[in-house]
Amino acid sequence: MTLALSGFVLRRVGSSLWQLRWSHLLTAATMAVTLFFFGAFMLLQINLEHLLKGWGEQIQITAYLSKNVGVDEMPALLARVQALPEVERVRLISQEQAWRDFQTALGAQSSLLDGLPRDVLPASLEISLKPAHRDSPVVEQLAARLRGEKEFASVDYPQEWVERLGLIVLAVDWAKWTLGGLLFLATFFIVSSAVKLAFLARQDEIEIMQLVGASEELIQAPFVLEGMIQGLVGGALSVAMLWGLFVLTQSEFPTLAGFMAPLVRPQFLDSASIALVLVSGWLLGAAGSLFSLRRFIRTWKATGHAA
Amino acid sequence: MIEFHHVSKTYGPALRALDDITLEIRKGELVFLAGASGAGKSTLLKLIFRDQEPSAGQILIDGKNVTRLRSRGVAALRRRIGLVFQQFKLLADLTALENVALAAEVIGVAKKASRTKAYHLLRELGLHERYDAKPLTLSAGEQQRVAIARALINDPILILADEPTGNLDAETAHETMRLLLKARDHGATVVIATHDTAMVNRYGDRVISLRRGEIADDLRRAESSGAVA
Repeated sequence: MTLALSGFVLRRVGSSLWQLRWSHLLTAATMAVTLFFFGAFMLLQINLEHLLKGWGEQIQITAYLSKNVGVDEMPALLARVQALPEVERVRLISQEQAWRDFQTALGAQSSLLDGLPRDVLPASLEISLKPAHRDSPVVEQLAARLRGEKEFASVDYPQEWVERLGLIVLAVDWAKWTLGGLLFLATFFIVSSAVKLAFLARQDEIEIMQLVGASEELIQAPFVLEGMIQGLVGGALSVAMLWGLFVLTQSEFPTLAGFMAPLVRPQFLDSASIALVLVSGWLLGAAGSLFSLRRFIRTWKATGHAA
Repeated sequence: MIEFHHVSKTYGPALRALDDITLEIRKGELVFLAGASGAGKSTLLKLIFRDQEPSAGQILIDGKNVTRLRSRGVAALRRRIGLVFQQFKLLADLTALENVALAAEVIGVAKKASRTKAYHLLRELGLHERYDAKPLTLSAGEQQRVAIARALINDPILILADEPTGNLDAETAHETMRLLLKARDHGATVVIATHDTAMVNRYGDRVISLRRGEIADDLRRAESSGAVA
């Protein structure tokens, strides 16, 4: 398209944006609502993943030693576990240390332990994993391997929580794409209808442009450009709404995150996610306009309304 | 310039708007298509500027077959044709100048050049003082002159006018005809569909009469007598 034609298209877009400003705003607002829901799921997913990651750093496997493991064998056992590729750090909790920790934990009620032998609690290894190996399956595999060794009486790790949080993240991801997809589809048709209305409002102009030899591309270009602008405005509005939601819920975060709240700080969308919301709006506007235009022009011509 | 070879146009199985038309219009001719309403005058014009496709036959313009053009080809064809309608077809929210310039702008002429040329044309047609008036504030005659200026702005080789004087009083109708004659004198071929016999008798170089989709008569004005014969 030449410079003169580009200028012509931009002038038509400017004039249409002003003349049909309420209709354009309504379409952009509809797109903003769709993109807001999509972005809200993305925000939730990002924070859950962040939470899981933060919590994952705290995940430890506790391997309780069998009674028959002697104190002299413990350093070798410690070294062997430390050498495992998944393991970042191992700490030996002796029976004496376990007793003291338990006493501290009971606080004022520590007298409950009076009369019990001091070796009632087993010695254990607290195993921290390397960041790359903190996924649920790796934790499970390592725990199973340690359980198979005769030196360990039992092996514990917060399996249920790891799996549950992982499932929640997966469910949010699915919901984001499923609900997001449905909303996108609905918005796509709303955009198409808005373009159809804009087209009808300007059919005299389009007919005259066709009569004087304007190409189809030139006739369609302003509508597609308007769709793109609506999409970008809708995307920007939705990011602003998401920011508002983020600020409002930030004070509620400790309640929402429960015991895990101290582990993480709430996160807003990163720049890639914001770009995804804006590009989605842009694409939604362009695709909705193009789809509607092609169908509408075909019908319009077939019914003899256009030259 | 324009050749019709056995051209027919039907709308559904029952309505035959044009039936086996064969004719030739030479470059620089001013031709009237005469006939009653429904005779096929407007359909014939619409086939030339490819608003419609013929059901059978071939149409050549400047030797080029325009019967089955795609949209890009249709747009290119129309850039060489100036169209004038009974209803003027002006955009109400644009000024007279903008309406005329629009036809040049959509084919890629820069805004300033388009508007300068539009202004010169309006001046030639005596409308330069009303260049910034919106169509609804102009009289019917003035609106038709704006439409003619728009038809002329791209220096067309062919002007097609469908009942151009249908909404005008006698004086304004004659003024409109004089403008179309002037365009013919500048080398354009002009084809006018009308049922105004007074206009046909006064201005027609050649009159093709249509009746029920067929050519009933094709008469040329005898140069010596000035009468259509």
